[in-house]
Amino acid sequence: MSGGPAVRVSIESTCEKQVQEVALDGTETYVPPLSMSQNLAKLAQRIDFSQGSDSEEDGIDGKPRDREWTKQEPEEEEGTVKFQPSLWPWDSVRNNLRSALTEMCVLHDVLSVVKEKKYMALDPVSQDPTTPQVFQLISKKKSLGTAAQLLLKGAEKLSKSVAENMENRRQRDFNSELLRLRSQWKLRKVGDKILGDLSYRSAGSLFPHHGTFEVIKNTDLDLDKKLPEDYCPLDVQIPSDLEGSAYIKVSIQKQAPDIGDLGTVTLFRRPPKTKAGTQQWHVKLEAAQNVLLCKEIFAQLSREAVQIKSQIPHIVVKNQIISQPFPGLQLSISLCHSTGEKKNHRATPDKPKPDDHLYVLEHNLHQMMREFHKQQLSSVVMPHPASAPFGHKRMRLAGPMAYDKAEITSLQHNEGLLEKIIKQAKHIFLRSRTARTIDSLASRIEDPQIQAHWSNINDVFESSVKVLITSQGYEQICKSIQLQLNIGVEQIRVVHRDGRVVTLSHQEQELQDFLLSQVSQILHLLILIPKYHTYNSKTLTGNTLLLHLYIFYFLFFKLYLADSNCIILFENCFECNIFTLVCL
Amino acid sequence: MGVTCVCQVPVSEGKSVQQTVDVLHKKLEQLGAVKQGSFCVDCETYHATGNVSGQPTKLLYVMHNSETPLSCMGLFEGGPCMIADANFDVLMIKLKSHFQNAKGHKVECRGSRYRYCDFLIKVGTVTMSSSARGISVEVEYCPCVVPGDCWNLTKEFMQSFLGPSVPELPSVFAAKPEGLFAPSDGVDTMTQYLELFNKLRKQQVPGSNVR
Repeated sequence: MSGGPAVRVSIESTCEKQVQEVALDGTETYVPPLSMSQNLAKLAQRIDFSQGSDSEEDGIDGKPRDREWTKQEPEEEEGTVKFQPSLWPWDSVRNNLRSALTEMCVLHDVLSVVKEKKYMALDPVSQDPTTPQVFQLISKKKSLGTAAQLLLKGAEKLSKSVAENMENRRQRDFNSELLRLRSQWKLRKVGDKILGDLSYRSAGSLFPHHGTFEVIKNTDLDLDKKLPEDYCPLDVQIPSDLEGSAYIKVSIQKQAPDIGDLGTVTLFRRPPKTKAGTQQWHVKLEAAQNVLLCKEIFAQLSREAVQIKSQIPHIVVKNQIISQPFPGLQLSISLCHSTGEKKNHRATPDKPKPDDHLYVLEHNLHQMMREFHKQQLSSVVMPHPASAPFGHKRMRLAGPMAYDKAEITSLQHNEGLLEKIIKQAKHIFLRSRTARTIDSLASRIEDPQIQAHWSNINDVFESSVKVLITSQGYEQICKSIQLQLNIGVEQIRVVHRDGRVVTLSHQEQELQDFLLSQVSQILHLLILIPKYHTYNSKTLTGNTLLLHLYIFYFLFFKLYLADSNCIILFENCFECNIFTLVCL
Repeated sequence: MGVTCVCQVPVSEGKSVQQTVDVLHKKLEQLGAVKQGSFCVDCETYHATGNVSGQPTKLLYVMHNSETPLSCMGLFEGGPCMIADANFDVLMIKLKSHFQNAKGHKVECRGSRYRYCDFLIKVGTVTMSSSARGISVEVEYCPCVVPGDCWNLTKEFMQSFLGPSVPELPSVFAAKPEGLFAPSDGVDTMTQYLELFNKLRKQQVPGSNVR
């Protein structure tokens, strides 16, 4: 710029030193200015290492915090300066650097650990998919296609294996069924056939039937067709004469007037319902075994009926055995065997006849047969000492003790099946008839009352009943009539309370008469008591007859004189000698 | 088991053994006895081997009685006797080395058995190797076991059908101790039979001189 002379401007820094002190003579002592390093130190102090690179995030928050820290730091500095004046000015810098180093080391460690990926892993923050939609669709379709192909391949393999398994399983089913069959029945392999044994021979039976059944494989079925519900891969073929079901009918009837219809008993009982879950072969085999046992029982009974001599011979006709336990009575044992086919022919079922079949006796027959089997087996009890012969234990003594024939026969069982069952039937019949007699008397006679207490525990050949005859209001007196009846096979034994024993035969009339006599004894006592209670008991028995006569004559004459149109009846109860007057 | 008495009936003059036996049967049936089958008593002889020479060989007799069918009696003559099980025969076979069977000496007595109330009468023919040697009669009184008590009754009964040939009390009973209860059992019967057999064996065969 022109116009005037140039003005020299000089700029000087105001490097005025601070005055430290002013001496008394006016000289000023200046504070020495900071050297370069001192200046650097001063500036370095001002660096705030706590402020991070993310100061922009902290934003507004960070600044007041910074201000606080910077405020704190100078305070701390001052504090430290105050307490430790010898602290050199780089101390804070060093501390800050050290903390930075620590943090860097930590970061380095973390990174190295993360790099190993064993203990720590970095998880990227999910980011929004920014791929375009079309691309997504195509990729999805492709992945779905591969998945579908895999699945289809797998399904094909599965269906093939299922078909194979079905075939295998049917084979295995047959084997498992066979195993189950073998666990319950005896089987053996003959050539290429499997045969079994359903007879009781191994259990001690001596019946000559072979009892062989054959096991048949049933596995060639069409897979496509639906399997029937009761399909079983195993089937058994039983001998033809053991088909169907059988039972032994035991019944007691009055003597049949005509013998024309003997041997025609074919009453058939409905077969018992099979348990759910049992195999068909099991049911078949069990039924066949039952038929075999019934046949054996019937064969044994008919053999005994023919061989054993008895007073009244037994009649054996076709499938029925008839014997007479008591005169006028008939015991019929028949084998009712029905094969399954006949059921279809019967259009209408027969009118159900009163079932007089005695189940108890049938059961007893089965039991006795099984006992006989067991005896066959176990009669060979091991002898002591080992050199002694086999047989019944007592029989071993027969030799050394020189038993004669009578003693030997008493040791052996000589009663056959038929005799036993006839005895049981006799007892059952006698017992039921005795019960009927007592009950009919009790219902007929109102006063005194007859009570019968049957005992629960009875034997096959013996039962007992206690009969009490009492009268209402006079129970104390009537305690004397208590009868214990022991019903045996053919006789009834009566034991009085005072110990007297009377044996009655099987006749019904005898028992009735006997009970009536007991009833009249009670009546005798009852009639005596109200009239003669003033007399003491000692004179009662001695004077009863006299008194009876006295009363009789007195009444007789009085009535006769008074009214001649009266009827006098006598009733003489036996054993009592009592006259009762009835005046009309 | 009662008291048994075994005696020998001599064969009647001019009659065979069978005829005498038939006569006895008839007498018994007239008396009222009931025939109850047959009986058989047999005896086998065994020599004891291996004993010191000079001593007579001991003879073991093994006897069977159909009255006790499951028993077997082993007797030494005059010596100990025992009643055993029927397997004793098999045992004797096993003891072949010690006891040898004298096969020709087997004696048998067979006949019929009668029962008359409490008495059992057995009339039998004693045969040795199928030749009849004599007749034996055994009478048993079943209810009693003490021989002294019932000997008189048995003797009287025997008199009724045997006639004069009634024996005296058998030696086995006489040998029993007096006063003690000594019941008789099968051994006594067998001893009596043994005595009878030995006697008959020593006798001549009747009718052997008939040639």
